[in-house]
Amino acid sequence: MTEQKVTILLVDDEKAIRRFLRTSLQGHGYEVVEAVTGQEALIAATEHRFDAIILDLGLPDMDGTEVTRRLREWSQTPIIILSVRSHENDKIAALDAGADDYLTKPFGAGELMARLRVSLRHAGHEDEEPVFTTGDLKVDLAHRQVWVGGVEIDLTPTEYDLLHMLVQHAGKVITHSQFLREVWGGAYEEESHLLRVNISNLRRKIEPDPNRPVYILTEPGVGYRLKA
Amino acid sequence: MKFLRYLLSLGLVALAVLAGWPFRSLIHPVNLVMLFLAVVVASAVFCGRGPAILASFISVFAFDYFFVDPRFSFSVADAEYLITFLGLLVVGLVVSGFASQVREQVLKLQAREAQTEALSALSRDLAVAGDMQTMLQAVVDHTSRSLASQAVVLTSEDNHLVVRLSSPGFTLSESEMETARLVFSSKEAHASAQQKTRFLPLTNPHSVVGVLGVKPVGKRSGFDTSQEKLFESFANLTGLAIERTLLAEQTNRLHMLSETEKLQTTLLNSISHDLRTPLVSIRGVLDSLLEVEQGSEDSPRLDPAARLDMLQNAREETIHLNRLVENLLDMTRLESGALKMHTEPSDIQDIIGSALAAMEESLRPRSVQVEIEPDLPLVEVDFVLVEQVIINLLDNALKYSSAGTPVEVFACRDECGIAVEVFDRGKGIPTDQLESVFSKFYRLKHSELTQGIGLGLSICKGIVEAHGGRIWAENRLGGGTKISFILPLRREKDGS
Repeated sequence: MTEQKVTILLVDDEKAIRRFLRTSLQGHGYEVVEAVTGQEALIAATEHRFDAIILDLGLPDMDGTEVTRRLREWSQTPIIILSVRSHENDKIAALDAGADDYLTKPFGAGELMARLRVSLRHAGHEDEEPVFTTGDLKVDLAHRQVWVGGVEIDLTPTEYDLLHMLVQHAGKVITHSQFLREVWGGAYEEESHLLRVNISNLRRKIEPDPNRPVYILTEPGVGYRLKA
Repeated sequence: MKFLRYLLSLGLVALAVLAGWPFRSLIHPVNLVMLFLAVVVASAVFCGRGPAILASFISVFAFDYFFVDPRFSFSVADAEYLITFLGLLVVGLVVSGFASQVREQVLKLQAREAQTEALSALSRDLAVAGDMQTMLQAVVDHTSRSLASQAVVLTSEDNHLVVRLSSPGFTLSESEMETARLVFSSKEAHASAQQKTRFLPLTNPHSVVGVLGVKPVGKRSGFDTSQEKLFESFANLTGLAIERTLLAEQTNRLHMLSETEKLQTTLLNSISHDLRTPLVSIRGVLDSLLEVEQGSEDSPRLDPAARLDMLQNAREETIHLNRLVENLLDMTRLESGALKMHTEPSDIQDIIGSALAAMEESLRPRSVQVEIEPDLPLVEVDFVLVEQVIINLLDNALKYSSAGTPVEVFACRDECGIAVEVFDRGKGIPTDQLESVFSKFYRLKHSELTQGIGLGLSICKGIVEAHGGRIWAENRLGGGTKISFILPLRREKDGS
């Protein structure tokens, strides 16, 4: 019996982009099913079980956010959104509707594969390691301890909560409102200055150079992402 | 008025009677006739022909009644007086004729002088009027003042006669509009019995350009000959002035059109050049690699290092291409007003870090020094747009300084807000061009660099100014450019 291949649903109306993505994905050993419109994508998703969906936000028949919302009514398959710069609000809407991550066009195949791996891993519900490590940063989730280069760092409860959330979703983007909802509660969703100040403080404590952060990466206009 | 003048001539006769009465027994009555003659002449000069004739007749009767025996009766004792009566009457009539002619000529001269004055005042104002609106305003003002009327100017637009300007509160009824249209199409004056408003065509040597209408104010129902003439002269002057203004406007438009065309051509040239350059590299790299893959006989041999170099080159060019497209899009959005700002409290350190990350590949070969004052307050800005400003400034710093020189970014608190400065060690900007570098499609004169189409800095300016900030360029001591911008801190809400 051959090993079951990971299958990806690829939704984009641009033929050239589908061709490039199909080649890259197949090159990495993924099975690819293509759809051109939102309607086609929704039908394909009911007929097949996909491991992940790559979805362009600018589809001819319906908004990618709408496709995400309808898929999320019954499916938890990871969705990665493709969009262009200056459409930050669309990206946020799609992420809030349940998309897992996004890529800004133009992007490289390497970036896509990295996002895909992260999303597949999170969807796989692998047992979370109690200790997370990236570069010199080490976070012990069981004991709420943080080290940078072997030196233990003292964080405020809010800073720790932020870092904890980043670690839980390591490699995935987290939107501003997701942070505010989860760390401060729904009533604080508009208080983005709280997030800015605490991220700034957190960076000062864990980043080697807070002016050019390497662990907590900014997704302009959308949110933050912890380097996986 | 007329009645008053007759009354005045009667008064003058009465005066002659009163003046002669004390001398009635001292002087021979025939000599007293001179008094009445003087009165007739005075009537002719001051009151006109009619009153003078009246004065002549009344004088004869008054002379007879008061001074000729028997007094206080019209009967005459001495028949010789009949000759005196006839003489007085004839002389009175003749003199009054001459005198009133002189009077009319004086009046005519005065009227002509007033007309000439009115005409020259109008042409003076028409000559200094720079545009159509000022010119028409002068026409309406002068016409209404000189003709004691309300005035209206109509011109043809797309073959429709429309009211361009009128005296305050003066509107044309539908039937008056109809007359105006008739005047316009026939190029001749038309009088309508029911209407007080009169129209004349505004003509120039080539065509009819409009219609001038006047409506006498008050009870007058029409104009006298001299007013009629003045009206015609006004219409002629206006027709020529409109023609002249139209020609001037047309010349202006043509000039602007050719300027715009020139700009568009320059823009298209530089955009297509800048779009094509990266494509040339990318296409070249891909073709070479394709040839290698296809393994034909004369295909080049490329060692792995050369291939890697080619691929990296192609990749960098796609980044340039993307940046150019983004800038063109931003420019279009700024220009069309479609740029929507999503401001939120933002950390300038975060924005700078994000811009540096976006430029990471281009910045890697350079030394980049970043200094940010600790504990800067948050600024209420659009994160993505301000990041774009810093990216453009970094991109410029790289483009206009040679490899190996450092690039620096500073941010600090300023009395007006938060200041960000980007420094390079390039050639700097000639002092006279420090401001113009922020205009659209501006490239440094005499620059050997042809890269870039002069969009980056103008976009920066647009974005910074949309945030209520300002941006400027300076030359550094020891060479190089410093570009600074200040973003105002969020203005405190009223009452807090």
